[in-house]
Amino acid sequence: MAVNSRSIKIGVISVLVLAISIGGVLFAGYLLKLDKEIRDRFAGARWALPAQVYAAPQELYVGQGINAHDLVHELQRLGYRQDATLGNTGTYVGGAQHVDLYVRGFDFWDGVQAPERLSVDFSGDLVTALKDLDSSKDLDIVRLDPMLIGSIYPKQGEDRVLIKLSDVPPMLAKGLVAVEDHGFYEHSGISLKAIFRASIANLRAGHVVQGGSTLTQQLIKNFFLSNRQTFTRKINEALMAMLLESHYSKDQILEAYMNEVALGQDGNRAVHGFGLGSHFYFNKPLNELRPQEIALLVGLVKGPTYYNPRRYPKHALARRNLVLSVFRDEGLISDAEYKKDITLPLGVAGGRGGGAERYPAFVDLVKRQLENDYKDEDLTNEGLRIFTTLDPRVQESLENRIVEELPEIEKQRRMKPGTLEGAGVVTSADRGEVLALVGGRDVRFPGFNRALDSRRSIGSLAKPFVYLTALEHPEQYNLETMIDDEPIELRMPGAPVWSPHNYDRKLHGPQHLYNALAHSINLPTVRLGLALGPANVLKTMRQAGYDGDAKALPSIFLGAVDASPLQIAQMYGTLASGGFQSSPSAIREVQTKDGKPLQRFPLQLKQTFAEGPIYLITWAMEKVMTIGTGRSAYTQLSPDTVVAGKSGTTDDYRDSWFAGFGADRVTVVWVGRDDNQSTGLTGSTGALQVWSRVMKDIHVRSIDNVPPPTVEEVQIDPDSGLRADDNCYDAVTVPYLQNSGPQEWAPCSAQANQTQGPMQWLKDIFGH
Amino acid sequence: MAGSQASAGAPVVRSKLIVILLVSLLAACQTTTGTHKVYPGTTGPEAEPLTPPPPAVEAKPIEPPPAPPKPVYPQSASEISGAAVTSLMKKANEYRAAGQPDQAAGVLERALRIEPRNYFVWSALGQAYLAQKNYAQAESVAQKSTALARGNYYVALENWKTIQAARMARGDAAGAALAGAQVASLQAQISGGTP
Repeated sequence: MAVNSRSIKIGVISVLVLAISIGGVLFAGYLLKLDKEIRDRFAGARWALPAQVYAAPQELYVGQGINAHDLVHELQRLGYRQDATLGNTGTYVGGAQHVDLYVRGFDFWDGVQAPERLSVDFSGDLVTALKDLDSSKDLDIVRLDPMLIGSIYPKQGEDRVLIKLSDVPPMLAKGLVAVEDHGFYEHSGISLKAIFRASIANLRAGHVVQGGSTLTQQLIKNFFLSNRQTFTRKINEALMAMLLESHYSKDQILEAYMNEVALGQDGNRAVHGFGLGSHFYFNKPLNELRPQEIALLVGLVKGPTYYNPRRYPKHALARRNLVLSVFRDEGLISDAEYKKDITLPLGVAGGRGGGAERYPAFVDLVKRQLENDYKDEDLTNEGLRIFTTLDPRVQESLENRIVEELPEIEKQRRMKPGTLEGAGVVTSADRGEVLALVGGRDVRFPGFNRALDSRRSIGSLAKPFVYLTALEHPEQYNLETMIDDEPIELRMPGAPVWSPHNYDRKLHGPQHLYNALAHSINLPTVRLGLALGPANVLKTMRQAGYDGDAKALPSIFLGAVDASPLQIAQMYGTLASGGFQSSPSAIREVQTKDGKPLQRFPLQLKQTFAEGPIYLITWAMEKVMTIGTGRSAYTQLSPDTVVAGKSGTTDDYRDSWFAGFGADRVTVVWVGRDDNQSTGLTGSTGALQVWSRVMKDIHVRSIDNVPPPTVEEVQIDPDSGLRADDNCYDAVTVPYLQNSGPQEWAPCSAQANQTQGPMQWLKDIFGH
Repeated sequence: MAGSQASAGAPVVRSKLIVILLVSLLAACQTTTGTHKVYPGTTGPEAEPLTPPPPAVEAKPIEPPPAPPKPVYPQSASEISGAAVTSLMKKANEYRAAGQPDQAAGVLERALRIEPRNYFVWSALGQAYLAQKNYAQAESVAQKSTALARGNYYVALENWKTIQAARMARGDAAGAALAGAQVASLQAQISGGTP
């Protein structure tokens, strides 16, 4: 038996040794596998970096039309704070006619704007001096840092703004270590002391109140593992933490942690890292945070949901103040600072994520335009910097006016609040940059984008293209041509007789061409359109930029054409820019994440109309504003601001449009109902109310009526339509394409009274 | 129909020319002359064919200014530009001299956002596009400059040179010759004032 038991013992030991050896080999293999995973994850492209989308930067230069109040408003939008000492970038001090600021540095496409203290003088609405505050040198032009307006992250995805440890305020790094892992710089990945301390605390409390995880373990958890609290996971976590520590320095690990940690949730978007956290909660870069703001972010690490400062401000405040007390104990702030800081409000920027995600409709357009050139992964992973055309000041006006005017109209018309919807676009006249875009009255909601996707009948917005088609034929038509206003019936195959009528159901007798447009009279328009032919009118629309599938039928003369507000902005932009078509663009430049130029989106122009006819139609559209359906705009605009436009009303008052332009801006506004029911609004009573207020807010520049060489301005007598001179009492100046104006003199003129023949005036000049 | 009657009186005092115009208009719209007419059922253009519209790009001969004395046109950008735009144009020139036309174009576009109708900037942008071998845009932008310059032959001359070079580079010899004729005519106009 002894032998037996001995041999069994030996056998057992052998098996055990073998098992341990095999286990050891397996374990070693396992460790190697973990090690590889960690190194791959850590050394490789660590994060998918969403593209960052920026608004257009605010320029500052002498002669610019901005006042001190508006500049301060702009600075506040960028998260600059008032500080009389200008102690840090992102600060300003403002007076009535003067603003000093410490502009942030920024890498622009075409050069670097260095951080710089500036002094700006104003005289009313004008910048009169721009100097470097330190050297007192005059500066020609300065750009403020552009506002971060969004990012392009994958669905259900993580969003982050990458930071380097060297850019992080020391208080944040030290404070984070003090609060989350006091022994971080001593331990080797795991801290037995911390685990022991946590276990005691948890036993005392009877439930989990403290975690014993080091920052390294937390990082591993976020990098690789699920949130399940299992024993194997804990073991894995500890092993990987030690492996990580063996490969990388404490600073590398801390930097990775600061970029990885989850700090909040914004709809589908997970806010990761302190870089984005700073923008998300305080709308400014990390290096400008003050102690109480740093404390709030550090406090959020423990639980971004429970301590969400927007949702649970009381939880957040208590947590922040606790963190501030740790800062004090660590000597990061003095006792006096502590006492002051805990009395301060949270100071979290309002709205959906402050600066980011403010302009969902515009960012939607940016994404669509990028999709032509970039793959999805490039946009969500590569950290590209996208510089857009959005002008936050213009956007603010368009948003405010739509949000304010729709309830006003509903009230006047006794509609149920919320009945009306609205959309609008503002573009730059000469090159079609989209400066502002609103897709619905809930301007922060990324839902149905009416400015791009709602295709509604354009109604009388089509008329300028009918009249422009006519004016391209100076041998037949000019602005003074008379057109009958008489009933018309049109029989189309397989369709009921079409008998359009005027909006007021009246007939007004023969109309001057420009007047028929100004008052938006339907029957002369249809008559003219029929003479020109629907195919020619449609061609004009296409030359202006229309790219829909409307058929060349007479109903297009009255706007049986569906288009989005953005398409209308393009079509009217062609008129506004003197006949040069450009497609609406929302992007200027793209940089790599390191600030290297990647792609520029240069302007794209094409002349599709001669300047002469465009000058004439613009003149007629100015009449819309002074004597026609747009004249109520001048309750808002100054009478010396020349603008051109056109109202659009569709059948049964379903859509209320207004589209028009000054010298520099094209604005299109649509008001209607999503269910396409009647609103009872015309273009003038609905959309124009928004349009004219936006044009006032953005200080639209007056159209400069200098005729092109192909146009001559002729004084005519409105009664006879013939040439007038100083003897004619109410002569008016009308532009004609060269040699198409009247040649004979009106009865009121001196020439007509002196001479016999119609050509006498010529003899008067040359004959004697 | 009071309005109709009031207007109906007007044609009586209208001259023959307007009557002729009206007649020609009505002739052009034969199908619309009668009031309350029921139109035949076609979907195509109803009217007689129109004369083709003038080409979008008017290759009109450059005409001399209508009356002496000749208008005085600015010859350099600084005459019509603010300090900011002047500074940006200088920077653009530096980029072009350094063989970076893309950067130059970017800076000029920035200048255009400040002064969108500054035809000197548009003209320089045309030259920058030419240097980038973006010939279609070089020509369009040069045309835009000429349109905004409203008769300034100094600027028009530079723009036609750009257009001539762009057409040449694209292999459009005939188009380049037309542009060359414009250049010659403008040069004559500037130097001699001969019409």
